[in-house]
Amino acid sequence: MVDLSQYLPILIFLGIALALSTAFVFLPMGVSQLTGTHNPTTEKLSEYECGFPAFEDPRSRFDVRFYLVAILFIVFDLEAAFLFPWAVSLDLTGWPGWITMMVFLFELVVGFVYAWKKGALEWE
Amino acid sequence: MIQTFAFYLFAVLLIASAVLVITSRNPVHAVLWLIVAFFNGAGLMVLVGAEFIAALLVIVYVGAVAVLFLFVVMMLDIDFAELRAGFIRHFPLGVLIALVLLAEIVLGVGAYRAGALELGAAGVAAEPIAGRSNIDNIGALLYTRYLFLFESAGLILLVAMIGAIVLTHRERPGSHKTHQNIDRQVRRRPQDATVMTRPDVGQGVEL
Repeated sequence: MVDLSQYLPILIFLGIALALSTAFVFLPMGVSQLTGTHNPTTEKLSEYECGFPAFEDPRSRFDVRFYLVAILFIVFDLEAAFLFPWAVSLDLTGWPGWITMMVFLFELVVGFVYAWKKGALEWE
Repeated sequence: MIQTFAFYLFAVLLIASAVLVITSRNPVHAVLWLIVAFFNGAGLMVLVGAEFIAALLVIVYVGAVAVLFLFVVMMLDIDFAELRAGFIRHFPLGVLIALVLLAEIVLGVGAYRAGALELGAAGVAAEPIAGRSNIDNIGALLYTRYLFLFESAGLILLVAMIGAIVLTHRERPGSHKTHQNIDRQVRRRPQDATVMTRPDVGQGVEL
C-alpha cells in the first residue's frame, strides 16, 4: 500500500474545481431565472438568417481525415509518454538507454517524414 | 482503512461501468462509460503505487483512445438496430470468443502464479530500486532490459501510422502540389515576365 496523504492537495484542488464549475454553470442559470423574463415564441427560438440549425442528428458522417488526425495524435502522444520515464531515469540507464530512445525516435521520425511527404498533415 | 475504502469504491465503480459499457443501447453512451472505467482503473493503479501508469491511463486512454473510439462510433453511420438483429445467429460465435478470452485469463493468472514472468529477457524478475519512484524503475527496466520489446513497440507504432495514412489519405486535386512555391517566386525576375517595347504607330507588337 502506498502513502495516499500526498494526494490530499489534488483532492482539495478537485473539490475547488468542482465547486467553481458548478457555480459557473448554475449561478447564471439561477440569476437569469430570477431576473429575466422568459416568454419564448417560435420566431424567437428559430435560428436567424445566417445561423445553423441548433439541433440535428449527431450521427452525421465525419470526414475520414478526422480519423487520420486522431490516429497520428495517438502515435505521437505515446511517443511523448515514453519520453517521460526515459528522461527521469537517464542516470540509471546511461548511454544504452540514450541510444535505445534515439533508435525509437528514429523509427517514429521515419513515419513522421512519410506523413509529411504524403501531405497527411495538411488539411487542404 | 481509507485505502480499503478507496479500493472497493474504485473496483465497484470499475465493474459497474464495465457492465454498462456492454449493456448500454447507445454506443456513444458505451464509450462514455468506458471513459469512466478508464478513470477508475487509473484510481486502482494509484492505489497499488503505479502512479505513472495511472497518469498514462488518463492521458493516453482517456485523452486519445476514447476520443478515437468516439470518432469511430460517430463516423460509422450504421443502423444499430439492424446490427443487433442477429443476436441468436451470432450467439455461438460470441460464446466461443468469450471462452477463448476466459481461457487466456486463466492461463495468464496461472502463469503469474507459477512464478516470475520472463518477457524475452534472461534472469528472474528485477528487484525495484530502493529509494526511487516507480517512474524511475520503469525507465530503468524499459530502456535497458526490455529494449527489444520497446523498439518493437516503436515499429508497431510506425506500422499503425503508415497503415492509417495508406488507408485513409487521399490525394486531393490541387492539394499540396499547387501550393505557393516561395523559392520560385523569389527567383522570378521582371525580364522573365514582362517585355518592354516601343512599337511604331500602326505596326502592332511582335511577341
